[in-house]
Amino acid sequence: MRPDGPVASHHFEALGTSCSLFAGGQSRTRLLEGEFWVRRLGARLTRFSTDSELSRLNRNAGQWTGISDEMEVILRAALHAHEMSAGLVNAAVLPSMLAVGYTRPFAEGPTVALLDGARPLPPLREVLEVRAGEACVHAGCGIDLGGIAKGWMADRLCEMLGPNAIANLGGDLRAVGPGPAGDGWPVGVAGVTLMLRDQAAATSSVRRRRWGEVHHLIDPRTGLPAKTGLDEVSVVTASAFEAEVVAKTALLLGPDFAPAYCAAHAMAWWLAGPDDD
Amino acid sequence: MRTVLLKAAATFLTIGATVASALFVTSHLKNPAAPLQPPVVNAGSTAAALGGTLNVGPSVQATDVEPMTSTYAS
Repeated sequence: MRPDGPVASHHFEALGTSCSLFAGGQSRTRLLEGEFWVRRLGARLTRFSTDSELSRLNRNAGQWTGISDEMEVILRAALHAHEMSAGLVNAAVLPSMLAVGYTRPFAEGPTVALLDGARPLPPLREVLEVRAGEACVHAGCGIDLGGIAKGWMADRLCEMLGPNAIANLGGDLRAVGPGPAGDGWPVGVAGVTLMLRDQAAATSSVRRRRWGEVHHLIDPRTGLPAKTGLDEVSVVTASAFEAEVVAKTALLLGPDFAPAYCAAHAMAWWLAGPDDD
Repeated sequence: MRTVLLKAAATFLTIGATVASALFVTSHLKNPAAPLQPPVVNAGSTAAALGGTLNVGPSVQATDVEPMTSTYAS
């Protein structure tokens, strides 16, 4: 099937990263509406704003707090990601993030790391409860939605942009429809172009958001920055949410188990170790 | 006598059916080189990538086209 009309594109900065939207046969207004949606939802999901919905939920730890429909869906997605990854993708990572010094937007720089206080993360289902319209984070715990929110948002945004579109939120991307020429959307993965159609991709890495020997990707088994023998993983799966979970899980599994895991869960995958540039 | 005739008839019928089947099969051979099973669709490949190893499954196609956007760590 050939696409309808020319492809409109729009690029902007949001969620602390670069975002790109493409849609065939849609007006630029539709893409601007997409940017507005990203900014509006991002403002509610960030942990860096004290008046965000997520910060309010974390601040009220130990008691039930009213949440929006979107927050409820994303928190349930976080619980699902925890189950999918056998506990390796754990949104209750906030205390460890703060311990390693990731206390404010990365552009403002990290603060002092206090790794002595890092502890293995509790299973997410033991510290986060969600029911219709409200959620409870247990006392002493905190939620960081991070990549889970990006992947989930890329999936929803792509659906909003129409039947032939691609949404890329900081490397978490989802492509639907036949693309600009009818044979898929050309997407770069590890320096190679892959044609994606109703597929998604994401990358997990310890090379970015890194300061000294410390980085932002926490291993829930230790509560410390992950050291697994893999530095970066990119995967292609059916949805951006799934891609985010699979990429992070593979990186945390390390080079011995990641190939078999990716072969079972991804349509394409790239694994890079410390010596691979 | 009757028993011998029945045995001979049964033997004749068996041998006749076997010979007829063999003649039918050899005269209707379509393609001696045909595979016994359909070939397995491309089971995946490894493409040249930036360091590391990129494995591409059969449901994803690599191309030389310039990418419109990329996945990356952010």
